Amino acid sequence: MKPLHMLLLAAAIIVAVLFLAFSPGRMRAWQSRFFDVSTPAMQAGAAINERITKLNKGLKTLDELEAENAALAAQNNELLASSQMLKDLADENRRLRETLGYRERSAFELVPAQVISRDSATWWSSAKINRGFAEKVDSAQPVLTADGLVGRTTTVAKDISMVMLLTDVNCQVAARIEETNDQGILTSQRPAGESSPVIAVNFLRRDADIKPGMKVVTAGVSGGVFPAGITLGTVKEFRTRELDGQAVIEPAADFSRLEDVFVVRGAK
Amino acid sequence: MIRTIVLVLSAYLAVIAQDFIPGMPFFAGAHVLLLPVIVCYAMLWLPFPAALGFALYAGLIGDLASLHVNGDGVEIGLGWSMLYYVLLAAVLHFRGRLAGLRWETHCLASGAATFFLLAGQYLMLWLRRESMAFDSVIFARIGGPSLASLLVAPLLYFFFGLFPGGFRGRRSRRVNR
Repeated sequence: MKPLHMLLLAAAIIVAVLFLAFSPGRMRAWQSRFFDVSTPAMQAGAAINERITKLNKGLKTLDELEAENAALAAQNNELLASSQMLKDLADENRRLRETLGYRERSAFELVPAQVISRDSATWWSSAKINRGFAEKVDSAQPVLTADGLVGRTTTVAKDISMVMLLTDVNCQVAARIEETNDQGILTSQRPAGESSPVIAVNFLRRDADIKPGMKVVTAGVSGGVFPAGITLGTVKEFRTRELDGQAVIEPAADFSRLEDVFVVRGAK
Repeated sequence: MIRTIVLVLSAYLAVIAQDFIPGMPFFAGAHVLLLPVIVCYAMLWLPFPAALGFALYAGLIGDLASLHVNGDGVEIGLGWSMLYYVLLAAVLHFRGRLAGLRWETHCLASGAATFFLLAGQYLMLWLRRESMAFDSVIFARIGGPSLASLLVAPLLYFFFGLFPGGFRGRRSRRVNR
């Protein structure tokens, strides 16, 4: 190897090591800038991907479209009625709170977003959504679907955010079994020899009366990321271990078909 | 020159496109990785200083696209891929010079580069998590993308060959001397 080449190799290694010395915050800032620059390419990729998916699903006949339209119209009427009823209930709730002198519940806002891609990284489970700080989305905000919690935001760029999914081993949520009020930590683990992760609530009481089918929601610990009451799933199985109980849960959200999600914005 | 520009653009597009390619169900959902295949081509084709520059660039965009910052922790930080590709450049450039830029060399190098990249990542996570046993799923997640790289490499080799280059002739003369 020529001396000049040796020198260049050493310089390149030093540059790489300098990047390795970055703090996590600085790495996130670099990633955010990269997402900003890449937003047009990512959105173009998402649009192409959507077209291909639509082509794969095939064209619908006029009859199918009519039937779908009728079903959607019926659903729309039902939702309008429910919405009106909920507004009445919210008004009544507010009046009662005022009468009793309760503190107003923190207001949450839902920012609708679309999943534009699933991460190709082999070792983590994450997705990218098409909303960022331009919509006041911040890091560490809960992301959910109509069915339940999906994960939380990590790196946020102007129009793109990365979401760490519940199926990622690094995602931990304080969870509560709704019927029994038992609390534990929800984590995802991949059993040996299986490719799909198992989501379970750990550190439960060994003698807890937890049965399959019970609903699991976020516990909403103070200072945590997730507000209380977001659906996580239902108990599939309860196991007692040497020191604690573990409830294996069936997640409410379908992680294999994530399309439309909401970012929960607002005071925790 | 045109081929160099195509390589730089392809590396960037590959990083974006990788996320849109569905996982391979028969390899435990592992994804096809295009970036190591493009990096190997660049390492074998570009002169050493340019190959080093390309390694830093590819490592940086590869890491930025897949970096997972969890609160105040990062499992595989920004810079590991850069370091890996720089070392790969050193190995491939000098080994590759003996073999010359042929599709077989590129194909084998791409498979091996993907394998060692993923195996290195697994090793780092294993040291960090302490509970990540090596099983058939891990084997599939490392072996699957490596095999996919072997298959994709000839296609990209012939694709890049369509563009006029400036270095190959010079290198061939140097090797022949």
